[in-house]
Amino acid sequence: MGTRRIVKYSAIASAVALGLSVVATTTVAAEHGPVAKIDVNNAKAEIGKRLFFDRRLSGDAGISCSDCHSPDHGFGSKEALSPGYPGNGHFRNAPSLVNTAHKKTWMHDGRLGTNLNDVTREMLTEDYIMNMDMRLMQERVKQDSEYLALYKAAGMNEPSNGSIRKLLPIFMKTLTTRNAPVDNGTMSDSAKRGGAIFDGKGGCNQCHTGALYSDGGRHNTGVPENLDIFLDPMNHQAYLAYGIGMGVENIFNTKRDIGAAVQTHEADGSDRGTFMTPQLRGLKYSAPYMHNGMMATLENVVDFYNQGGGADSNKSNLLQPLRLTSSEKSDLVAYLEALSGDALTGDEFVWSKSFPAEYEVIPNWRQVDNRTRAPIKSTH
Amino acid sequence: MFKKRKTNPVAVAVALGATLMTGCTSATTSVVKSESSSAHMMVASMESGTLVAASRVSGGQGVNNPPLAALGPVPIPPDNPNTPAKVELGKMLFFEPAVGGDTSTPCSACHEPDQGWAWAEDISRGYPGTVHWRNSQTTVNSAYYPRLFWAGSVPSLEAQAKSAAGGAVAGNAEFDIVEARLALMPEYRKRFNEVFGDEFPLYRNAFRAIAAFERADLVQRDAPIDNYFNGDKDALSEEQKRGMALFNGKANCIECHNGAMATDFDYYNIGVPTLPRWDEDGLAQITYRYEMYAKGSNEEMYKNYKEDPGFYFRDKNVWNKGKFRVPSLRYTMYTAPYMHNGTLMTLEDVVDFYNQGGGNNVFSANKSDLIKPLGLSDEEKEDLVAFLEAFSGDEIEIERPKMPGYAPLFTKAELMMEKK
Repeated sequence: MGTRRIVKYSAIASAVALGLSVVATTTVAAEHGPVAKIDVNNAKAEIGKRLFFDRRLSGDAGISCSDCHSPDHGFGSKEALSPGYPGNGHFRNAPSLVNTAHKKTWMHDGRLGTNLNDVTREMLTEDYIMNMDMRLMQERVKQDSEYLALYKAAGMNEPSNGSIRKLLPIFMKTLTTRNAPVDNGTMSDSAKRGGAIFDGKGGCNQCHTGALYSDGGRHNTGVPENLDIFLDPMNHQAYLAYGIGMGVENIFNTKRDIGAAVQTHEADGSDRGTFMTPQLRGLKYSAPYMHNGMMATLENVVDFYNQGGGADSNKSNLLQPLRLTSSEKSDLVAYLEALSGDALTGDEFVWSKSFPAEYEVIPNWRQVDNRTRAPIKSTH
Repeated sequence: MFKKRKTNPVAVAVALGATLMTGCTSATTSVVKSESSSAHMMVASMESGTLVAASRVSGGQGVNNPPLAALGPVPIPPDNPNTPAKVELGKMLFFEPAVGGDTSTPCSACHEPDQGWAWAEDISRGYPGTVHWRNSQTTVNSAYYPRLFWAGSVPSLEAQAKSAAGGAVAGNAEFDIVEARLALMPEYRKRFNEVFGDEFPLYRNAFRAIAAFERADLVQRDAPIDNYFNGDKDALSEEQKRGMALFNGKANCIECHNGAMATDFDYYNIGVPTLPRWDEDGLAQITYRYEMYAKGSNEEMYKNYKEDPGFYFRDKNVWNKGKFRVPSLRYTMYTAPYMHNGTLMTLEDVVDFYNQGGGNNVFSANKSDLIKPLGLSDEEKEDLVAFLEAFSGDEIEIERPKMPGYAPLFTKAELMMEKK
């Protein structure tokens, strides 16, 4: 049964795209496997952790990375649409950052494909996200003697905007899935059955492959539009700002999230509404789901795929009605939950100490070097 | 006097600066005061498209300086003519929070009408989470300046508004989010379309409208001094007339504070002391370093400096460190505190400061020779302060415009009909 399914999907996929056929013909569970732990310098990760939770890294000091990527929600947001910077909303769901260091491409539209340092810069500086001038950020961080002490402990020179962008990703590298039932052999029977469906009848592994359960590609699954993006001007303004910045043609008259078309720019518009395949490793904690948070539960997600996805003229042919029984659907949900590891909510991942309410004063300001706070040797 | 100035290195440097500002590629070497003055006029002419017109009813005593005068009509650049609709739009935008990064900093946040269209603290309040590093200047009569900001870094009101809206310690906004916000306010879509023909409001046009508002409504030409020079000899009290004589004579204020705007639009180091707040306020220390870093300092400056180099950042010539643009004296009754860093609290303090021959800062090597002890008596100082107050008329108050709100661009029905 399982074999027949794979052959069937393989045939469809070959007709669709050569690249996808590779995914579809590779067989089953062996390709998944545990997420590799990433060794980091603990002293540096500690600084990155403090930075991650520090609201002074946004323009008006109103939000930190953790306000949209909350440890209580798998380093994602419980809101369908991310809160965004004060003064505006957002137009996409804040994805879980668990395992983000293992990704090759970031953002739901895949517009960042270099490294986490670039992603960090983008999030810090984008006006509808953290709206931070990094030159100012550097001086804020340098004003805080706890950062100076942490930098010293890590064997680093004084803080700089370059080092801040290196340290945040080091912290993010610690956010990897561990002790997931699927990896440590503690899956329930239901989850095990769900695993067979995932790789077989459900055909989920056509796109959700590898340790992260993502092929890193883009697909149109017909997820319904989240109309709150357009009906709430707070969200719409963020979408417009994004579209203007990305050079999207006719953005003011655009009534849908065009997704990965911002990076692929197909002339016929066939790439509109494609989004990057998300990883499935933190689903237990990161509801709601999809790029726009339109699905509140994993049951909703399974129902969505069971009916063959949503309605879109460019929807992937990989999506077909699955005809899963209700017990098969609950088995599949059990499997999806088994992909998540421990909650990353302990002190190792959360900076729970408070931040100073005001910036400290450098007391002997005129006598010390602005860069290092060492006594000034020469005067001007 | 004329001959003395001819060899005055400060005047030469200043005139050279003015020459460079006009965009001439070959600098003149034999610069005299008269050329310096014509250079100023050229600046005004080239950059605002029209001269700073003044009706010179009566001259002061400083023979080589343009005399104080009544303020003429505001110069309007030919590429941004004023219309009532544009002015009204500009007024709305001046008070519009959406032009600030987190929608809490309209222009009026730092140019508060009730605080002299400025900010009544030493340095400007700045963007939330920050403080600025210089005193917020009044927008009243700013339309007459050929260049804006304390170091004259921009050539027009339009450029000033844009620069302030974008600065990390000021408006901290970028064009894309502001255009997005304006597009979501039907009132602005309508008005930008009527005024500029924009289908959706363009960022650059927002600043053209704000500048038009400033040229129309934030102008004061009926201060006592204007009335005096326009023929009403009773517009000044006897005390003020004595003060004017000191201004033009013994105190020699006219040397820099001349013409209808009471400024020569040039840059001097007068020895304003370092901002004490930098010793006491961590937030201000952050901004100081940020500005030094962002404006382009060499490592030695970034590490060791504790003072604002001012005009230096314009051309990076060492002799311009600590120089700032001579501010107009108009409307100063409402714009305390004074100087580029707001270190002088009252006009009395300002007169005392000049009476003692200015002050000292780390760039005092560049301090102008024009600044020297004046030997004014207490009575003379009072007369001078009284005269300074003649540069201010009534407080300019306007009815704050009603702020438009957001509305969705599309109805739910339109969105549902969108073919996917």
